[in-house]
Amino acid sequence: MNRKPISDETLNRIIKYLVIILLTFGVVLLAIQFDSFWNWILSAIRAVIVPISLAYLAALIIFPLIKLLEKKGVGPRGFSLGIVFVLTVGLIFSAFYFLTPLLVQEIRNFFIEDFQTIIDYINNDLRDEFILGADLYDQIFDYVNETNIISDTLDQMIPSLITGLSNVLLPLFTSVALLPILLIYYLNDYEVISETIRTIIPAKHEKNAAELGSRLNQTVGAYLRGQLILMFALGSVATIVYRLIGLKYYFVFGFLAGVTNIIPYFGMIIAAVPPIIYSFIASSGPGPLLVLMVNVVLQFFEGNIFQPLIMSHQLSIHPIVIIMSILFFGSLFGPLGVIFASPIAASIRVIYRFIIDVRKAKTKQNVIEATGS
Amino acid sequence: MIKKSRKRIYSKFEIYAILFYATMIQLIPLVLVFTHIYDIESKLNIDKFLFWLTIVNFILTVIGTVYLLLNKDKLQRAVKANYMQEFYYLLILSVFSILGFVVFFDLLEGPRQYIAHILIFIVVGVGYILLFLGRKFFNFDYKKRK
Repeated sequence: MNRKPISDETLNRIIKYLVIILLTFGVVLLAIQFDSFWNWILSAIRAVIVPISLAYLAALIIFPLIKLLEKKGVGPRGFSLGIVFVLTVGLIFSAFYFLTPLLVQEIRNFFIEDFQTIIDYINNDLRDEFILGADLYDQIFDYVNETNIISDTLDQMIPSLITGLSNVLLPLFTSVALLPILLIYYLNDYEVISETIRTIIPAKHEKNAAELGSRLNQTVGAYLRGQLILMFALGSVATIVYRLIGLKYYFVFGFLAGVTNIIPYFGMIIAAVPPIIYSFIASSGPGPLLVLMVNVVLQFFEGNIFQPLIMSHQLSIHPIVIIMSILFFGSLFGPLGVIFASPIAASIRVIYRFIIDVRKAKTKQNVIEATGS
Repeated sequence: MIKKSRKRIYSKFEIYAILFYATMIQLIPLVLVFTHIYDIESKLNIDKFLFWLTIVNFILTVIGTVYLLLNKDKLQRAVKANYMQEFYYLLILSVFSILGFVVFFDLLEGPRQYIAHILIFIVVGVGYILLFLGRKFFNFDYKKRK
């Protein structure tokens, strides 16, 4: 058999990639040795990155409104920014003002009226209604009592939860406090900042970087705006439907449906579990089958009508890719990774497509130059 | 013979007229669905509440119609390739108004056991109207979307 020999060019390329991979591994291995140093550096970077990222994401939602006002002749920038800012703050404040009392009231009512019923149900009735049989229930109950598995798990979980929360909450509070100030400056000098970032990039790549930046802004902005509309629409529809079927605590369950909708596919399932369990245990109100049916119908409308219509075409990623990205980024960055898995996946796709487009344009240019036409 | 395959693109006047009258037709259920969450209608006299709501609806319809007619020429000159955003508005409006219809039905003391049967007809009817409007006026064909 006559095999074609590997060309020097291919061999060079293989060696180049191998060296890059080996060097990357070497750098990672070296970096791991100075763990505490990197943690120190990373926490400092995180302290800057988190508020800046939040301001950037908020700007992607708010900036089109400012542009719209300016297009209508409302200006200068300070004035249009002021109007949008006051409206946004007013909206957030009114949402808190009107929604919080309802939510607090329902949660309080739950603990006063139903919490004890649920505890009683778990202690008494659950054994008789246990789907796998009373014997298995007894075995599980005995095992739990003998091994103290619940208290041991709680003992392990609570300190790490407190540490985790303090690690998350403090930067989050700082970011939220800084957000309005950062946002005002960022939105006021939006074009100037973009131009400054462009000047940092070498002239050779400036055009491509600007094009990629614009595509990414468009994709992430479309995702955020679409997601906000979806959350509001689905939360409201769920609240109204729960109210109409006579489910108690409809506001909390509807609110949950809206908030968890930020996680594609899993969100609606997570939101459906508490009302189904509650309707199963509660003596009054709709049955669990009706609540399940309502959630299935909501899921159907959300997945087939709202999601494809409201979300831009740029975000139409295959469900398997989205689920994989949720699992991957969730394990990498925790809850924030789960929430931002879809836009990250969409951004990666935009970058990938951009590279392909650039290569195609380059090949076309080379062909034109070679043929001289 | 040249086949006439290009779709007519409607001006903003027609689209805004559809959106405005759709909103006005569905305004009462729309208001009711949100007041129902806060139980506002139960705290007020429901007959009076519906009466004033109808009056407000009528006044808004008149004001909107006058505004549309005054800006008719300007709006007729403005055209968009498609009206996706406007169609989303109509869709979300219709979803809430269908739910509002149930509240309205309850307030009018209609027999609750028949609500599911009535709702099926309403959902099918609204769905058909939306598909028709989307295809004909908004240059948006849901069935052809991938």
